[in-house]
Amino acid sequence: MAKTRRKATKAKSRKSLTKAKSRKRTVAGRSRKSVAKKAKPAKRVAKPKARKRLAGLKSRKPVASSNARKPGKKATARKAAKKSESVESPAESPKAVRLTFSYQGDQVKLVSQQPVEMTVPPSDPLKGYEEHKGFWAEVKNAQDKTLFRRVLHNPTRNDAEVFSDDPEQSISLEPAPKRKGVFVVVVPDTDKGHEVTLSRSSGLPDIPEGSPRGMTAMRSLATGPATEIARFKLKK
Amino acid sequence: MGSSDGQVQGLTKIADAGQPTQRWNVVIVSEGYRSDEMAQFTTDAQQFADTLLTTAPYDRLRVAINVYRVDVTSTDSGARDPTSCGGTGAKPKTYFDASFCTSGIRRLLVGNSGRVIKVVSKLLPQWHMALLQVNSSIHGGSGGSVATFSKAPNAIEIALHEMGHSAFGLADEYEYFAGCIADHGHDNHSGSEPSQPNVTTNKNRATVKWHSLIQAATPVPTTQNANCAGCDPQPSPVPAGTVGLFEGADYFHCRVYRPEFNCRMRNLNQPFCGVCQQVIAQKLAPFLPPS
Repeated sequence: MAKTRRKATKAKSRKSLTKAKSRKRTVAGRSRKSVAKKAKPAKRVAKPKARKRLAGLKSRKPVASSNARKPGKKATARKAAKKSESVESPAESPKAVRLTFSYQGDQVKLVSQQPVEMTVPPSDPLKGYEEHKGFWAEVKNAQDKTLFRRVLHNPTRNDAEVFSDDPEQSISLEPAPKRKGVFVVVVPDTDKGHEVTLSRSSGLPDIPEGSPRGMTAMRSLATGPATEIARFKLKK
Repeated sequence: MGSSDGQVQGLTKIADAGQPTQRWNVVIVSEGYRSDEMAQFTTDAQQFADTLLTTAPYDRLRVAINVYRVDVTSTDSGARDPTSCGGTGAKPKTYFDASFCTSGIRRLLVGNSGRVIKVVSKLLPQWHMALLQVNSSIHGGSGGSVATFSKAPNAIEIALHEMGHSAFGLADEYEYFAGCIADHGHDNHSGSEPSQPNVTTNKNRATVKWHSLIQAATPVPTTQNANCAGCDPQPSPVPAGTVGLFEGADYFHCRVYRPEFNCRMRNLNQPFCGVCQQVIAQKLAPFLPPS
């Protein structure tokens, strides 16, 4: 009996804490908006530091932050929203996560997960792409069901587009091996999201150096059906 | 070298469609502009915004699109231009270290994308598309999460093409790799259906991805390449703007199709084809204000 009462008390205090945090977030959100609105006539948006000061916000760390998503905060925000998120219609919710990946050769790493209040373009088709070639990112639930999918122009390819003034062939490709860099995928922030996967078609086997230019470049052309190349846990 | 060679001055909204949480946010960042050249960047960024918002289909979606400018000064003007690619050998000190001759390719102009992303994310966490405008009159650019382009005449076209890739996952619709003559091994597509919405291996009128845009009178396939060893030289048999199935796309001469005879994803200075326009409109639909 006493145990039950203790549990109820704990739940109650958790709830009030949640409400308080939710109020804080709402106020912060409103302040931020009003700051942006104030800045509108001059069309100058304040730098983050100034904006933070004006809004009295405890800032979230941008992109590179590894601890940007603190447990509890997200759940609180969700409760405050008082609506269930629809992954299939992400536009209904302004909550998203910006995933920043780095790549070097075939190696891809998830560098950061940044929660952002923003609208996400709708998902690409969630069915019927099993044998497709290309490159895409998927948000999976705990049962490995795809909740959201974003088709990308392969960001890890070993070639690069080159532009010329030739009106007939203003664009062509050149092999650009050993490329490294970063790419970004924005996905809806949802309770159901458990992992993010990346899928990519494999290229042709290596062709010896000195082969004709177009042939050498084929190494990097994705030709077969895509397979999963990486899987990362989404922070809760 | 790098971020010590300049300063981030701030973010300015140059096309205002509403709150960034609700709109699609494009950010254009300056590279290789000295502090005394920032007025020029203001003009260049505005020119980009005006071009973007008068280009179909963005023109009819402009109420969904915010455009911002990020002013970043550099110690020196321009971009690196190595002599190894036939360049001038210029080595200006710039904030994002933009350089021509990336991977030994003369016109491949690349800046430090990671640094751009970091700067933009700090100033506008809600960004969707970032572009780096490099203060150089040499023709060049590159794609990726940050589309990069110079100030050469028509270089904005590079940005529009790369946005098609980066923001909307559109495929290239040209049918060659290095060029129609230079190509080896680009005769026939592998057969796996491309995941991108604007190229296909499917010849079935009823089930092709863009079937709803093909009129009953349009033949399918609309063109076929008689010689898969090279690009198809025939002119379009249908009026410009007709959606059908045109053989040759996705870097291959045969067994893969594009929706229109021409498109910005096939050649610069062309409008987006109907299918690409539809894809862009669908992706931007959630950003439209309620009517």
